[in-house]
Amino acid sequence: MQGLYIHIPFCVSKCYYCDFYSEAGKLHLLGDYLNALLMEAGQYRGPGFDTHVIARPKAAAICPEAGQYRGPGFDTLYIGGGTPSLLGAAGLEQLMNGLAGCFDLTKLHEATVEANPDTANSEFLDAAVGCGISRLSIGVQSLNDDELAKSGRLHNAGQALAAIAKARDCGFEDISADIIVGLPGQTPGSLENTLCGLLHSAVTHISAYCLSVEPGSEFARHTPPGLPDDDAQAGLFELAARYLKENGFVHYEISNFAVPGNECLHNLNYWRGGEYLGLGPGAASHIQGKRFKNAACLDKYIDNPVAIDKEEETLDAAHKSAEEAMLRLRLLQEGLDLAGLSARYGQANMGRLSDRLNKLAGQKMLLKAGHKYRLPPDMVLTSNQVFRQVIN
Amino acid sequence: MNNLRNFCIIAHIDHGKSTLADRILELSGMVRKTSMDQMLDSMELERERGITIKAKSVRIPYKTRDGGEYILNLIDTPGHVDFNYEVSRSLMACEGAVLLVDATQGVEAQTIANANLALDAGLKIIPVINKIDLSNAMVDDCSLQLYSMLGLSIEDILLVSAKDGSGVAELLETIVERVPPPSGSADAPLKCLIFDSFYDAYRGVIPHLRVFAGSLKAGDKILLKSTEKIYEVEEVGYFSLGLAQCPVLQAGEVGYVVALIRNAGEIHVGDTVVSSDHPEEAAVPGFRMAQSMVYCGVYPIITSDYGKLGAALEKFKLNDSSIVFEKENSAALGFGYRMGFLGMLHMEIALERLRREYEQDIIATMPSVIYKVFCKNGDILMLDNPSKFPLEGQVEHIEEPIIRTRIIVPSTHVGPCMELAEAKRGALVGIEHPDDRRAILIYDLPLADMITDFYDRLKSVSRGYASMDYELNGYRAGDLVKVDIIVNNGIVDALSYIAPKEGAAARGRALIHKLSKTIPKHLFKIPLQAAIGAQVIAREDIFPRRKDVLAKCYGGDITRKRKLLEKQKEGKKKMKMVGFVEVPQEAFLSLMKIDD
Repeated sequence: MQGLYIHIPFCVSKCYYCDFYSEAGKLHLLGDYLNALLMEAGQYRGPGFDTHVIARPKAAAICPEAGQYRGPGFDTLYIGGGTPSLLGAAGLEQLMNGLAGCFDLTKLHEATVEANPDTANSEFLDAAVGCGISRLSIGVQSLNDDELAKSGRLHNAGQALAAIAKARDCGFEDISADIIVGLPGQTPGSLENTLCGLLHSAVTHISAYCLSVEPGSEFARHTPPGLPDDDAQAGLFELAARYLKENGFVHYEISNFAVPGNECLHNLNYWRGGEYLGLGPGAASHIQGKRFKNAACLDKYIDNPVAIDKEEETLDAAHKSAEEAMLRLRLLQEGLDLAGLSARYGQANMGRLSDRLNKLAGQKMLLKAGHKYRLPPDMVLTSNQVFRQVIN
Repeated sequence: MNNLRNFCIIAHIDHGKSTLADRILELSGMVRKTSMDQMLDSMELERERGITIKAKSVRIPYKTRDGGEYILNLIDTPGHVDFNYEVSRSLMACEGAVLLVDATQGVEAQTIANANLALDAGLKIIPVINKIDLSNAMVDDCSLQLYSMLGLSIEDILLVSAKDGSGVAELLETIVERVPPPSGSADAPLKCLIFDSFYDAYRGVIPHLRVFAGSLKAGDKILLKSTEKIYEVEEVGYFSLGLAQCPVLQAGEVGYVVALIRNAGEIHVGDTVVSSDHPEEAAVPGFRMAQSMVYCGVYPIITSDYGKLGAALEKFKLNDSSIVFEKENSAALGFGYRMGFLGMLHMEIALERLRREYEQDIIATMPSVIYKVFCKNGDILMLDNPSKFPLEGQVEHIEEPIIRTRIIVPSTHVGPCMELAEAKRGALVGIEHPDDRRAILIYDLPLADMITDFYDRLKSVSRGYASMDYELNGYRAGDLVKVDIIVNNGIVDALSYIAPKEGAAARGRALIHKLSKTIPKHLFKIPLQAAIGAQVIAREDIFPRRKDVLAKCYGGDITRKRKLLEKQKEGKKKMKMVGFVEVPQEAFLSLMKIDD
C-alpha cells in the first residue's frame, strides 16, 4: 500500500485544543499555496509520467502488507488539515487536476477529504465527488453546543448534522466523524448524546481522540474550567467504546471505530508501517524506510517548497522493526504477526524484540496466539505501558 | 623571614571574602583587573553556590608605599560551619586574620565563630567592614558590634569596599604593619602542618602545608606523625595562581609538596610532617580525624551499576578525603554504599559532585545521624542507619547526638526563632543581648532535627536575618521510635527513619501523603503505610492509573509518537524499581521537606 497525504494548513481560526500546524488569517495565500504544493508534488513525479484520467476509487480488501515504494502511483489519498474545505470547489479541482498531472491516481482505493461543518457547502461537496473523492471526514468534535463554543469551534451541532446530511445527498457513502473525548464540560450524558446523534446520521466511521492540553494551544495558555481529568477522560472513552461496539462498530485502532468494511485504508497504512508521501508544510512522509517531515512554516514553503527544511530519520533494523511492532499493536483486531515482521526484517536483525513481546505476553500485557500478538481490550487506555517496552 | 606575612580572610558567608581576595590579587598585579571573578573559587560548584569549599592559598609579592618588598601568603578558608575543623587548621598556618564584616548585615554567627577560632589560634585580628559603598551600610553599628561582641578596638577597624576596591590598598599596608612575621628557625628539625590537600591524577595527593621549622626540598624524606608513613619528596613549591616549583620551602613559608602519595586516605588535614631523621619531633597540637556527622545511603539507579559506583567513590575519596563510605545492602534498593559527611552542606555538595563530575545516576536516602542504641542485653550500638535498628522490644533506650547552636537574630524576630527551636526539640541554654537590637539565642537541639530543614526554616521565620553556627555537644536520651514505610505491602528499609515518639503519627501521615503525591500512578493500586513496629500509624492508597495512551491525532507523524514514548521511557529510567513499584528519587528525601 502506498498513500499520498496533502496538508492544507489554513483555518478560519485556531481551535483551543489544536497544536496541529495551521495558520489562521492567511487565506489570501491559498492560491500561492496551491502553486507551491504542486511544485513540491512535481519533485516526486516519475520519469516519463503523463497526465492520467482520475477514476472513481473502487472498494478494495484491506491489504495487510506494506509494499515497496513503486514510483508515483498511490492507493490512497488523504487531504487533511487545517481545513481543506476552505479550498472551495475551484481550489479542490485545481489541486486534484494538478496532482493527477504528477501522479498515477487511477488506481486509488480510497480518497478522503477533511471538512469542517461550517465550510462544507454543497458546491464544495459536489466538486469533491466530481473529482473522485470517495470519503469525507467531518470535524464534528461534539454535538453539544456549549462544548463546541468552549473549544473555539465555529459551528454548532445543527450545522454538523446538516453537513453530514448534505454530504450524503451529494453522493458520499463513506462518511467519518471526528469527536473529542474530554472536552471542557463534557459529561457521560453529553458524550452519549453526541454518539447517538452521529449514529442516527448514519456515519460509517468515528475517530475518537482524547483531548490533551498541548504546549502552544489556547488551552495551554488558559486552562478552561470543567476540563475532565485523566481518570474522568478514561471513563468517558470507555463509555464511547462500549456504546459504539453495542451499535455495530468495530474498535479497530486505539482511536478509531468503523462499521466493518469502512476502516480508513489511508490510516491503516500508517499503522502497518506502510509508505506514504506527505506534501505541504508540517507533512510527514515515509518512503523506502526513511521518515521525513517538512518544516512547519507556510511562508517559507510558499517561498520555495522544494528547498523547505526537512527533519529526517532512518532507523536501523532493530529500531525499525520495534517501531512497526508498536504501530501494528495499535490495530486492536489485526494485531502484530511476528512471523510477517521477521520475514520483512530478518529474525537476526530484530534484536530482542520477540523476547520483549513474550515477556509482555507473560505479564498478560499482550494477548498471544501462535505468532500473533494483540493488545488486550482492557489495556487500550494504558497501552503506553506496553509500547514503552516494545520500543527498545 | 621578616618580609613574610601569612594571613587569611575570615567572614560569615556572603560577606564578600572572595571579592576581597580578587581585589587583593588585582592590586598586587598578579591578575589583570576584571579578568576573572573570584579567582580562588575554581570549582564549578563553588562558583554556583558562591561559597568556598576547599581552602586554598596564594603567594602574593607586594611592595609597600615606603618601598619595602614583602611576600604575602593569603590562605583562603571555607566559609561554612560544616568545615569548621578545616578552618581551624587553615588558621594555624597564619599569623594574622582579616575579619570581614558586611556593613549591611553586621556581625553574624559565623563571624563570631571564626573570630573565636582565630583568637584561639593566637592570630592578630584586623577587623574590616566591607561594602561601605552601599547606601544601607551601617558602619557605626558594625563597629559597635565588633567592639561589644568581640572586644575589638574601634580605632583598629578598617573600612573597605571590595567591590569598587576602595580601602583595599590601605588594608594591604595594614597587613604588613600589624601581622607579625613568622617565627621559627630554618636550621631546626623540620615541622610542618598540613592544612589542605588536593588530588592530581598524575602526581597523587599533593598536601598544602605550612613550614613552622626547618626546611623542605626535593630528595628529603618526610614522615607523617599520624600514620608514621615515610615518603620521599619529589618537588616543593608554592601557589601562584597555579603551582610554582621552587628549590626549597623554609620555616615560615607556605607551599605544597609532591611526594607520590597515592592514597588520599593517608593524608589528613591537621597532620604534622616531620623529617624521617627526626621522627621524635612533637606534632602540632589539635589534630583530629575528619568526623562524619551525617550519613546516608547511596544506591545506583540501575542495580548493575553498583561496581561503577564503587569505583567512582574510590576516585572521589582521593579528591575529598573527608567523605567516608562502606558497602551496604538494602532489601529494597539492592547493593549500595553508606556514606558519611561532615555536615548537610558537605553532603549536598558531595552528592552533586558524584552526579556531575563522576557521572553517577544515584539515589540518596534520608540523611541520618549516629544514634547510640542501648540494648536490653547490655550491648551499646552506634547506628547510622535506621534500617539496622534492633527490634523495638530489644531496645532499652536510645541516645541521639546534640548540637549547641548559637543563633544571632534581630530582637524583633526572637519570638518566631524560639518557637522554631522549641518545635525542633531545642532546649534553651541562654539568651545574650550584645546590643539593644540583636539577641543571641543559645540552644541545645538534636542534630537530627537540625539536618532536616532547620536552617531553611530559621531563615524563613527571621526573614533572612538570622544566622547560626553550631558545634557537637554530646549525646542525650530521647523518646525515639523507628518508623517503617510500607509500599505495596513491603517494608522499604531505605525509607525507615528514627523520630521522636511524640508527633510520630502526624509526621507519618504527612510523609505518606507526600509519598502519595511523589510516586506516580501505576496500573495497580499501591497501598502506602507508615508503621511503628506492627502498629500502622498512617495509610493512603495510590489508585491505579486509568489513562496512559497516545490517542490524539498525529496523522502520519510516527516519529513524534515514537519520540514521545522514548522520552517517557527516559523519565522512567530515573526511577528506582522497589518491588514492582517505580519510585522517583525525590521520594527518598520526602521526609526532609515536610511542613509539620
